[in-house]
Amino acid sequence: MTVTEPQQLAYIAGQAAEARLRFELETEGMTLNIGPQHPATHGTLRIIVRLDGEQVVWADPSCGYMHRGYEKLAEVRKYQQVTTLVNRIDWLSSFCNEVPFILAAEQLYEVEAPPRAQWIRTLLFEMGRIANITLFLGEMGVQLGAITPVFYAFRDREHVLNLIEAATGGRFHPNYDRVGGLKDDLPKGWVEETKAVMDKVREFCDQMEDLLLGNEIFERRMRGIGVIPARVGLGYGLSGANIRASGVDWDIRRDEPSVLAWKDCDWKVWTHTDGDSFARYWVRLQETREAAKLVDQLCDGLPSGPIMAKMPARLRVPKGEAWVHTENPLGEMGYYVVSDGGPSGPFRCKIRSASFNNISILPWILRGVYVPDVITILSSLYFILGDIDR
Amino acid sequence: MSDAPTDDQTEDAAPPPPDPEREELVAALRRDLGDWLIEHVNANGDLWVRVDRKAWLKAGEVLREKHGFDYFCFLSGIDWLNNAELVQRYEQVWDPDAEAAGDGAADEGPYVGGRVAGGDTRFQVFARVYNVQRKLGITLKADLDDANPSVDSWVTVYRGADWHEREAWEMYGFEFAGHPGLRHIYLPVEFEGFPLRKDFALLARVVKPWPGLVDKEPVPGEDEEEGAEEAAPA
Amino acid sequence: MGLVEKGWLPKPLTKVLNSARRYSVWIYQWGLACCAIEMGSALASPRYDVMRLGVIPFPASPRQADLLVVSGTLTDKLAPSLRRLYEQMPDPKYVISMGSCANCGGPYWDSYSVTKGCDQIVPVDVYVPGCPPRPEALLEGIVLLQQRIGDEDMAERWKGEPPVVAGPTNSGVVVGGGPIA
Repeated sequence: MTVTEPQQLAYIAGQAAEARLRFELETEGMTLNIGPQHPATHGTLRIIVRLDGEQVVWADPSCGYMHRGYEKLAEVRKYQQVTTLVNRIDWLSSFCNEVPFILAAEQLYEVEAPPRAQWIRTLLFEMGRIANITLFLGEMGVQLGAITPVFYAFRDREHVLNLIEAATGGRFHPNYDRVGGLKDDLPKGWVEETKAVMDKVREFCDQMEDLLLGNEIFERRMRGIGVIPARVGLGYGLSGANIRASGVDWDIRRDEPSVLAWKDCDWKVWTHTDGDSFARYWVRLQETREAAKLVDQLCDGLPSGPIMAKMPARLRVPKGEAWVHTENPLGEMGYYVVSDGGPSGPFRCKIRSASFNNISILPWILRGVYVPDVITILSSLYFILGDIDR
Repeated sequence: MSDAPTDDQTEDAAPPPPDPEREELVAALRRDLGDWLIEHVNANGDLWVRVDRKAWLKAGEVLREKHGFDYFCFLSGIDWLNNAELVQRYEQVWDPDAEAAGDGAADEGPYVGGRVAGGDTRFQVFARVYNVQRKLGITLKADLDDANPSVDSWVTVYRGADWHEREAWEMYGFEFAGHPGLRHIYLPVEFEGFPLRKDFALLARVVKPWPGLVDKEPVPGEDEEEGAEEAAPA
Repeated sequence: MGLVEKGWLPKPLTKVLNSARRYSVWIYQWGLACCAIEMGSALASPRYDVMRLGVIPFPASPRQADLLVVSGTLTDKLAPSLRRLYEQMPDPKYVISMGSCANCGGPYWDSYSVTKGCDQIVPVDVYVPGCPPRPEALLEGIVLLQQRIGDEDMAERWKGEPPVVAGPTNSGVVVGGGPIA
């Protein structure tokens, strides 16, 4: 049986109309793979998002592309060797990673470093914070399309890195702590130079405020994006500026007893009530200023004395467990170190890194978000891959 | 929000300074958990509590709902296996008389002794939560069955436990009952074995044991090449 | 051009073509770990500016890049991605391995999840040692690579042979780079 031409044409027209209809309705179910190599992910994080049009329906971060096995490696190294390794977890503020580990080791060894060493540790800790967060302040702009701030950030970080290098020998990865104190004392003239550099840091913060905070595009893209209510954030274990931007007034430097020198200085904890990306940026900006203020005070009040405690020649670590945590630039970082009394290093070293918890909130927070805002939220949560993956 | 002030540290030689806040917390937990709270240690300004594994989920719920421990810090495991052969395999060659002086772990039996908040089995799961208002932290521990290390999942109580439990499963092989999906988080899908267990050997160290202190290596061919390669000694 | 493949290109013209290529290298951004920050300092910082060497760090797509700088630890999970993206780069392409993790596994030499050296996955032209190497060390590595490009024999490369270096240069190792922590 033959089909006439008009019938054929009618049939084709009908099929085309139906296809058009179906095509217009099919917006669901596109899976987009962001990463693992992507300029916006600060490293090798892979986020698999399922989209409905422009909105995210479901997001699944897949980390582990930088997993180096720190906890296992720490078990086969001595305490000094672990210090070297542990620098590289949060690689922007490396000194800050060493400190809680060395404090835990000192708790196990039952020695205490002299006051000058503790003050210098605090000083370098705060400088590590400045080195870390200045980069965040700059590259938050890059994620939104503003390229200039990151050049300023790199330039001004150089000053801080030079100081750290002058004192410790390494621009980052200083490996400067020893159990019981520090490797070397500060070089001559370092303290005066530090104060001069802090003026530059404050100038940089003012520049960022001018360039970015007052910018209308910045505000529109950041305000109201990625709001984290405090209770949800705490349940996921968000820490640092992320949770302070949601109104939780908690800072380990102030709230936990510590042998380091924060209690001897006059400084403030900044919080914000909004909990959105803008609040996180704002809190970090204020924290940088506060860190510069802390560095000035620490430079002024630096006690004199030895930098290394008297340690017996052949030292065995008694059995025990120690937990020390500090307020690192990314959040709360802590080490749970278990010693079995043996000659080698830790029996178990659990590293609690801030970014792992900070990123675990992504599946919850990215639902219903538009694709460009995914990048905004990622950047405002601010993580370092080494900190997530250890 | 005013927190109950802890007593100031009256330095006694032997007994530790009194810590009413934490003692009160332990007493409250004992009322809630009864016999399932096995022991507690209050030292160094910190609190460890060991519970029975059947009470793991209940302990989490009680802490969060009743005592306001809403900040989830971390959850992980410890493998207490004491294996002399493993210790020897990884030992550092340059410290030979250290083990001779050893009040070593070898005589402690199958598991390493001297642990805070005890532990009778090889695997122990431990977690830390924090009360942000009262600035109090508590470390919870539970012993797991050696042959079948499993415990209830904390996902319903602390959402952040999701990823930590995935990691503990991946590294140790712990099963978490009630977890939405235990799958690999750090390691590739084809990875075999549980890396953080003590019997998982680091093959690079087995094949080539650490040589200890090495004499300075001779500088390769300084006179050969015209490019004047001077190797910087490490 | 058939001339290049048949090896009929006269030496001076090869030199000109090579120097056109060596002074317009585009780096593919493959920053993995801490070395990526030093690479960022070398590339984006006004102090160690790499653009004065003709190297432009713009392309985010492998299809437009000449040079891959593997900076940071390469893990087994990421190794297939590295290979896949390397193969997407068009010839002639070069690889610089930056930092001890990319050279040989570095401080994680005994880890269960780290690839001990990216030269197991991609062929490397220049190794820059250090942990992390200073930005100046990376720049020296790039300069070394530019010398090698300048002395390259393009005919061999077109035939698919590994690049034969026709002139006197140093071997592909930058020595004395960066602090070794």
